[in-house]
Amino acid sequence: MAEKTNYTEAFEELQTIVSEIENGEISLDILSEKVKRAAVLLRICKDKLTSTEEDVNKILEDLKVEDSDDESAF
Amino acid sequence: MQKINNKSVYSLLEVTDSIKATISNKYTGSYWIKAEMNKLNYYKLSGHCYPDLLEKKSGSIVVETKAIIYSSDFLSINQKFLSVLKEPIKDGINILFCANIIYTPKYGLQLQIIDIDPSYSLGELEREKSETLEKIKSEELYDRNKNLKLNLLPKRIAIISVETSKGYSDFIKIIKGSPNKYNFFCMLFPSSLEGDKAVGNIIWQLNRIKKISHHFDAVAIIRGGGGDIGLTTYNNYFLAKAIALFPIPVFTGIGHSTNETIAEMVAFKNAITPTDLANYLIKIFDDYKLPLDKAKELLVGYSYRLITSEKDNLKKLKYNFGISTRNIISRSSSNIESTVKFLKNNAKHFLKLEKDYYGINLSDLRKYSGRFIKNEFVNIEVAAKSIKKDSNGYMKNSKINLEQLTKDLRKEFKNLLSSNKNNVHLIIQSLTRTKDRFVTEKFKEIQNIEEKIDLLSPQSTLKRGFSMTILNGKILRDGKEVSDGDSIKTILFESEIQSTVNKSN
Repeated sequence: MAEKTNYTEAFEELQTIVSEIENGEISLDILSEKVKRAAVLLRICKDKLTSTEEDVNKILEDLKVEDSDDESAF
Repeated sequence: MQKINNKSVYSLLEVTDSIKATISNKYTGSYWIKAEMNKLNYYKLSGHCYPDLLEKKSGSIVVETKAIIYSSDFLSINQKFLSVLKEPIKDGINILFCANIIYTPKYGLQLQIIDIDPSYSLGELEREKSETLEKIKSEELYDRNKNLKLNLLPKRIAIISVETSKGYSDFIKIIKGSPNKYNFFCMLFPSSLEGDKAVGNIIWQLNRIKKISHHFDAVAIIRGGGGDIGLTTYNNYFLAKAIALFPIPVFTGIGHSTNETIAEMVAFKNAITPTDLANYLIKIFDDYKLPLDKAKELLVGYSYRLITSEKDNLKKLKYNFGISTRNIISRSSSNIESTVKFLKNNAKHFLKLEKDYYGINLSDLRKYSGRFIKNEFVNIEVAAKSIKKDSNGYMKNSKINLEQLTKDLRKEFKNLLSSNKNNVHLIIQSLTRTKDRFVTEKFKEIQNIEEKIDLLSPQSTLKRGFSMTILNGKILRDGKEVSDGDSIKTILFESEIQSTVNKSN
């Protein structure tokens, strides 16, 4: 969940930086800092786009546990 | 009929035959009847159906009867249903059917259904559907799933579908073949999607997924290739409720062209076909990626532009600074020049004023000092006069003293002189004598020395007729030193002879 939040927040933060740039609110003094930050955010977002998540085996295991719980309930 | 113990006894067959005859006499034609078909009871082997028909009043069954549809009738009826309801005939619907009322001794009273009006069922289904929809809405389930927040990138999808269905393969082909390689995670939860068991099956899989929903971003119910057939499943209240209450968003891609089903209405997102659903998901990712790419471009472009423009500004500033500096310097130097000029002029003027002022003072000073000097001079004269007078007096006194002293000294000296005069005279006499004697002795000694010197002097020798021969400035002592042609000088007593050697020994 933390990771999801991360990339969602990263995306929002990146959008903020972009709008700041578009509105010309970023001066040369802080540009380098902002660009560095934006690069990190971009990396987080792009990683999320292409990453592979979840393991079928793990899910099946969880499912097994849940199913057997079901059976025991009856 | 027999007589047994005075009783008229009929065989069972006689009774049933009688009933059969009575019924067939009474119900000669066929009748349109409406009823709820609880169970179709289709037998695959024979192809016949034995539906359970019933009628309810206030929720409880008041009539229950059996019916039969022969396979030939069933085929044509089902065909009609499929064309009108987009749905095969199935359990649990109200039907308007045409039936013969028959009685067979073996099976009893039966309604032999020879036709079913699909449009009646359609209306019934529509009514049912709207009732279900009303119920869903009244229970505030309609927007429940829609109001969930879909994760920004829903890439973990639990799929409820049939593995071999076209819809599923279409969906997977697009999702996995997305050109940007988003690496969707799809996991299939197989379920029948049409027919009697579909609702229960789908709900069962939904419940399984619900328990592990933390692994997924969304559920997709995908059906494809079924056309418009079998959609009543998706108008089922329980399925719609299960979807509405599902903890994560549910997508539907059921694939049909008629009115939206309730399941689709309550789903988070309904795509008309599985392909549309796959494209919808990819678009979410593309939409997410687009601003990222744009942001990257913007960052690079903006940074470049900003730096370039700042560089230009700096250049301009530098240039302007140069110009300004030069201007300031030239302005300052002209200011300095004019200030110097001004100062010079002022100084001159000031000096002149000062000079004039002091000039006036000088003449005053001269006048004053002249006067002062005169005064002083007078004072000095007076002082000098008084000094003269004083010194004259003093000198007079001193002179008298001096004269007296001189007189005293003379007198003293005279006395002294006269007392020693005789002693002195005696001493002088003795001294004179001693002197004379000494002088005479010394004189004689000197005479002797002079004589000796005379004898030894070369002059004397020369005088006696000797001569000296000089060669090259040196006295010649040996004739061997002379060579022929040498010039020699012969010195005589009072003259010299210059000669050249003719012959030497």
